[in-house]
Amino acid sequence: MKKTDIGVCLVFYGICAFFLYMTLQLPKAAQIYPLCVIALLAGLTTLHVINMIISAIREGVSSGLDDFREFVPSQFFTLLAFIVIYLVAMPYLGFYVSSILFMSASLLFLRVKLWQIILSELVIIALVYCAFTLFLEVRLPAGVMFS
Amino acid sequence: MSQTLSLMASGFVSALYPVNLLAMAGGVTIGIIIGCLPGLSAAMGVALLLPMTFSMEASTGMIMLGAIYCGAIFGGSISAILIHTPGTPASAATAIEGYQMTLKGQAGKALGTACIASFFGGLLSCISLYFFAPVLGQLAMKFGSPEYFWLSIFGLTIIAGVSSKSMIKGLMSGALGLLLSTIGMDPMQGVKRFMFGQASLYEGINVTCALIGLFSMSQALILAEAKIKQRARAAEFTDKMLLTGSELREIAPTIGRSWIIGNLIGILPGAGASIACFMGYNTARQFSKHKELFGHGSYEGVAGSEAANNAVTGGSLIPMLTLGIPGESVTAVLMGGLIIQGLTPGPNLFAGDTAKMTYTFFAGFVLIQFFMLGIGLLGCRGFAHIARLSDAILIPSVTILCVVGSFAIHQNFVDVVIMLIFGVIGWLARKFGLNNAAIVLALILGPIGEKGLRRSLLLSGGDPSILFSTPVCWVLIVLCVLGVLSPILMDRMAKGADKE
Repeated sequence: MKKTDIGVCLVFYGICAFFLYMTLQLPKAAQIYPLCVIALLAGLTTLHVINMIISAIREGVSSGLDDFREFVPSQFFTLLAFIVIYLVAMPYLGFYVSSILFMSASLLFLRVKLWQIILSELVIIALVYCAFTLFLEVRLPAGVMFS
Repeated sequence: MSQTLSLMASGFVSALYPVNLLAMAGGVTIGIIIGCLPGLSAAMGVALLLPMTFSMEASTGMIMLGAIYCGAIFGGSISAILIHTPGTPASAATAIEGYQMTLKGQAGKALGTACIASFFGGLLSCISLYFFAPVLGQLAMKFGSPEYFWLSIFGLTIIAGVSSKSMIKGLMSGALGLLLSTIGMDPMQGVKRFMFGQASLYEGINVTCALIGLFSMSQALILAEAKIKQRARAAEFTDKMLLTGSELREIAPTIGRSWIIGNLIGILPGAGASIACFMGYNTARQFSKHKELFGHGSYEGVAGSEAANNAVTGGSLIPMLTLGIPGESVTAVLMGGLIIQGLTPGPNLFAGDTAKMTYTFFAGFVLIQFFMLGIGLLGCRGFAHIARLSDAILIPSVTILCVVGSFAIHQNFVDVVIMLIFGVIGWLARKFGLNNAAIVLALILGPIGEKGLRRSLLLSGGDPSILFSTPVCWVLIVLCVLGVLSPILMDRMAKGADKE
């Protein structure tokens, strides 16, 4: 049994509880199908818990952190923060400006050579402009500051 | 019969339009690039480029996505042969013999064999697409609400098959997908369900956003979590890529056997190219006259693996196109492509005007193989350099394409947020042994099953016996049982392949 699976089961029970609470706010006739699905998810999670207990008795408990062996928290969370800031900034700065800033920040953080940063930005921006702005005529966010 | 032949002929005429030829060339090139980049998968590539097909004709869009699919499956062999790192799991077996050939200075021959075997594997798989798909489509035309309910249940049992590590976790992922599929308007009562005040969730979670998030954004997060490593330098090669007549004759039976293996595995829901390549490779070794060369650079081994994984492509399209059941992740993404074109995957694709689109796609799928052969043979040297592209550049590039792709669906920022949420869900799912393909399958099949069940019960005045009222229902029930048992069969097949 992996210790991390305990967290997985708790999250799944949490999801069931959350959807159950919301389902009970619906009219009676509309509750049946979601309730069946919630019961299915809760049942499968319980089955997994039983499996985990059996496995813990037979084989013992492992941390389950093997999949995180190569995990570099500082790199991952910085890049995730960059992505969130990029999305928050996009309505204000517009798609192109925020994308260039996001790419520059990410590539500088990952220590990519300057000429590679410039070249990759040019390629991506040109690709998006040709495919989405010219070909698909998508109106990408212009940004409050620039409109 | 004559109508089918005329549809086949008109399909080829339409597929030869310049715009379709351009889509094939572009799709195959993009697919090979994605395939040869270790860390990027065929499903991820197709999901990422799905929004590009919005404004295209349905047939052109599907041809482009099909071209990316085939290109990516072949592209994986380039990095497998030159840098001993399979670009996609489908080329894992190719790396065994392909890299040994590279070490012996025969990289060109290995790449040529991979290209030719991929071409014939893909081309032959089109035969089953042409012959089985319309027959199954005609059969599915007779389906009513109870049959559709069982069909969706059958599709959901596939989840057990696509869950490679833990069946229960796979089923839990599927149930989570089912729960997420209830978000939106209730199809019978007209009640808003779990919409969190977002009008954009009226029609439920946009499947394309979910696909981009689960397959592409999650991949960018996977790349972001590990230390960036320098990739090995691709081997330079000077030998000829084209095979001689006698070499071609020697690999012909191998290609034939791998075609049958790959095709059957493609049709089987839950299996995929990664299993097919090993089975094709093992069968090639069993029947080879030069068994001693295996493990030391056998081009028959390369041919066996590559013909099998490309033969999967045509076969895997059959259940998706005829029954609306995607058997694995790439076909689930392709199904998303059909849905955004306003088409319902299933028997309707073989009726009326839509049949012309379907046969144009079939013809396009045949022609794609020729483009794959040409572009593969001519561009291998160039693609080999692309295989070295650093993950550091891929992370922000893929993120930007995910953002712009999900925004382009409805030009709505909520879709981007949904995509990111699914990206994080997909990343967590992969880290904790859950299954993204199962979530997607349930997200797609959930509404079909719900409508089928509730309409059936409405028709029967609430009597559940309607669900067991026709022979087709019983056939589908048997298939559901087989669907649940299929993981055991797959497990045995995989173990058998490993042992050998």
